[in-house]
Amino acid sequence: MAQSTELLKGTLGLLILRTLELEPRHGVAIADRIQQITKGTFTVKAGSLFPALHRLEQEGFIAGEWLVTEGRRIKSYRLTPAGRQQLAAEKKQWARIVSAVGLVLDSE
Amino acid sequence: MPLWSRVVSFWRTVARGRRLDADLDAELLSYVDEIAARKIAGGVDPATARRLALMEVGGIDHVKEEVRDVRIGRLVEETVRDTAYAWRMLRKAPGFAVAAVVTLALGVGANTAIFSVVHALLIAPMPYANPDRLVFVWADQASEGYARAPLSGPELTDLDTRASLFEGFGAIWATTAALTGDNEPEQLRIGHVSHDFFPLLGANAEIGRTFIEADVVKGPPTSILLSASVWRRRYGSDPSIVGTRILVNGRPTTVVGVMPADFKLLMPPDAAVPDDLEAFQPFDRFLPEFPRGQRFLRVIGRMRPGVELAAAQQDIARVGEEISKAYQYGVAGRRFETVSLQADAVHEIRGPLLALFGGVAILLVIACVNVASLLIARAAARTKETAMRAALGAGNARLLRQHLVEGLLLTTLGAVAGILVARWGLDALLALAPPALSRLSAARINIPVIVFSVAVVFAWGVLLSVAPLSEVWRVRLANAIRIDAARTGGSTGQSLRTALIAGQVAMSVVLVIGALLLVRTFQNVQSLDPGFNDHAIQSFRLAVRAPSRERALAFSRDLQSALSALPGVVGAAAISHAPYDHVPNWGGPYLPEKGADPSTAAQADYRSLSPGALELLDIRLVEGRSFTEQDDLSSRPVVIVDRRLAERTWPGQSAIGRELGVDTFVTGKAEIGATVVGVVEHVRHRNPILEVREQIYFPQRQAMRNPTVWIVKAASDPAALMPAIRETLKKLDPTLPIYDVRPLAAYAEGANATRQFTMQLSVLFALVALVLASVGVYGVMAYSVATRHREFGVRRALGAHDRQVLGLVARDGAWLLGRGLAGGIAAAALVAWLMRGLLFGVSPWDPATYASAIPVLIVAGLVACLLPARRAVAANPIEALRAE
Repeated sequence: MAQSTELLKGTLGLLILRTLELEPRHGVAIADRIQQITKGTFTVKAGSLFPALHRLEQEGFIAGEWLVTEGRRIKSYRLTPAGRQQLAAEKKQWARIVSAVGLVLDSE
Repeated sequence: MPLWSRVVSFWRTVARGRRLDADLDAELLSYVDEIAARKIAGGVDPATARRLALMEVGGIDHVKEEVRDVRIGRLVEETVRDTAYAWRMLRKAPGFAVAAVVTLALGVGANTAIFSVVHALLIAPMPYANPDRLVFVWADQASEGYARAPLSGPELTDLDTRASLFEGFGAIWATTAALTGDNEPEQLRIGHVSHDFFPLLGANAEIGRTFIEADVVKGPPTSILLSASVWRRRYGSDPSIVGTRILVNGRPTTVVGVMPADFKLLMPPDAAVPDDLEAFQPFDRFLPEFPRGQRFLRVIGRMRPGVELAAAQQDIARVGEEISKAYQYGVAGRRFETVSLQADAVHEIRGPLLALFGGVAILLVIACVNVASLLIARAAARTKETAMRAALGAGNARLLRQHLVEGLLLTTLGAVAGILVARWGLDALLALAPPALSRLSAARINIPVIVFSVAVVFAWGVLLSVAPLSEVWRVRLANAIRIDAARTGGSTGQSLRTALIAGQVAMSVVLVIGALLLVRTFQNVQSLDPGFNDHAIQSFRLAVRAPSRERALAFSRDLQSALSALPGVVGAAAISHAPYDHVPNWGGPYLPEKGADPSTAAQADYRSLSPGALELLDIRLVEGRSFTEQDDLSSRPVVIVDRRLAERTWPGQSAIGRELGVDTFVTGKAEIGATVVGVVEHVRHRNPILEVREQIYFPQRQAMRNPTVWIVKAASDPAALMPAIRETLKKLDPTLPIYDVRPLAAYAEGANATRQFTMQLSVLFALVALVLASVGVYGVMAYSVATRHREFGVRRALGAHDRQVLGLVARDGAWLLGRGLAGGIAAAALVAWLMRGLLFGVSPWDPATYASAIPVLIVAGLVACLLPARRAVAANPIEALRAE
């Protein structure tokens, strides 16, 4: 798990953006969703989740708003248009990195 | 106003840190609740669930800390990034950056330099204890042509005993005394003070003490308090001098102390108390019993804590009314005026200073308009970049911040350079300032001054940064409706710029007209005939020491004939006062005839003249004769009066042979009968502008004043006479110090110095304003021609002549200048009215002055339009069409 946390640092933002691509979610739901998709490879702790959320919010990629569901107030995040562009750009970037790293690893 | 709402929203983002904190708290709590709720749903009991949830989160405070770090880190990071970006943008356009910084530095520098003077003189409290409780008391003798007159010894006692709202009163009178014995003889400027004068100011001696009641003796003073400058200059800062005796006017006098080097006496300039008194001595013990009419005291009072100035003024005025009833003061009675010392000490320079400060403030606005105009032009040129950044998702706040950072970076550079300019500027200002304005030397570029400049500059920085946003706004709008923003040509930005530049032209019109009015004033004052001629006259002051009046007069006679006999000398004479000097004025009452009712006495200016003085000074004789050597102690008293006195006293008749009741010994009673032997024209020797009281001249051989001003008229260069003059004096008496050695004309120059200095600075400001405004006009015209290059090319292709193209540019230029001129003349009319107190002999709305400003501006404007117009004419039709 130590390795995966290391990896998370750079990619958590991308993962959060991706998680929010389909629908707005609140903090717990985002963490759950990441854990669920990665089949438990990445467990997102509050200590890294919230700083990342706030960084993205400040950059204007996501926007948070308070909702009341089931009688409780939760802060739900949605992707902004700028966030959508950023996600597309980061996806491309990521694909390039993956293929490049793959090329290096596969080469003899 | 969309710009404004953007600014507001930006500040909200920056300033909402606290609300975000509460927000984060709630968010984390809801997170913990959610996790706990799941655990409860999984069968865990609520308390344990909550504990487990908290453990899982890993400490709420820790998480909050992390989020906060991110937030602050981002702000710092973005600011650093913005600053670096702004710096790169400036580096990429060094011409623009240098032009903007230099323009700002000039504006800020001039502003800071003048503000440092305003601060030191008008704002900073006087260097005394609780200076706001100090007042200055004048006697109002306006009905006798002497609005701000001194008080007498008994009147000082009256104030002390009758005024109830004061802790006390102190008095000072400036004179001179000879210092001899231990070194070269010299004449010191001495302030005679009441013993509580320094405690009243809250000033202490550096070493030794100030005066105490025991120092006040009958007759000539026996103690002296030295200024730091004399102590250093004459006694090598030797502390053991305190307690020893030195020779003052030939009498052994005990040095009781030395004042601190930074002690400054700041009295109103017309109080005839110089700033640079060299020593102090106590008044005579009999001061309270001096004649009531012997008025020479400048009085300071200290109000009790909490007393309002208005109440204190009433208190003092009441004392005046009481003594008017109690003693013989004639019909006019005695009226006292009370003013705040702080306000009064600078009342003569406040007007010119505020006018200059207003001038530099306008100059700074003009400079900032140029920078704003440059920024707008640059924002227009960077349309593509802005459009790109907007398209890439840079929010309004982001773009706004980028511009703010750029503007503030520019203004910071401008402010730093400006403060350096101010330091040099202030040095230059102080070097150029005439000696009469020695108080300017108190000006410093200190913390309050820097705080003021930085505040002003940053206010401008924010405005400057917002100005180009009009351009950014246009780009975003254009972007939204899919127009190629780069090619729609500057409409919004250009019209804002044009309006700014028109305003700038208007402001320079104000400065030009203001300066021209001051130039006219100065010329008017210069061309005013003061009634005497000080050309080619050397002057010096001398205090004769002789055992008797006869011996003193004999010395005076010998000196006059020795000086007159020198080669290159046209003539020499002695007068009691130099024109416009700081020697306490000599004046007194006169009666149309001896023995008339003393309450009908009017006040006149007294002067004493040796034979030949009238001729040397070209004072014109209306009738009768001037003084001769025969008008001496052995003959009956005679006087010469001015035409105003003669016409007032004996209207329509000759004054010659009449007997006038006068008061040569300053007893306050016109008891001496003197025969009028001559009438001369009125002489403006107190003030270059105002005609003051009527004038009476006594023959020096009958009424000698000591010290005396000696005037020596030269055939050519008066200053070259000094070695011979000193030689002559040494032969007569080697121990006599002479002082105030200067051309007589220097007094008149000193009297006009403030006016001249104000005039010169205002002309300088107006010239800088003209140059800046021309640059502004050039910038906006050049830009307009550049954006219409294609249009001109097409017009050329369609056969437009040079003159037609020129006409198009000229029409734009004329429209710009016309608006500026019209606005400027209206504003100048208002400003001129505000500064009417500084004008003399010219109306604030003098049509000739306004008319002469217009061609100056039109020439400057046309020069600025010339280059763009030539470029418009040169527009190549082929090129223009090819660019399509």
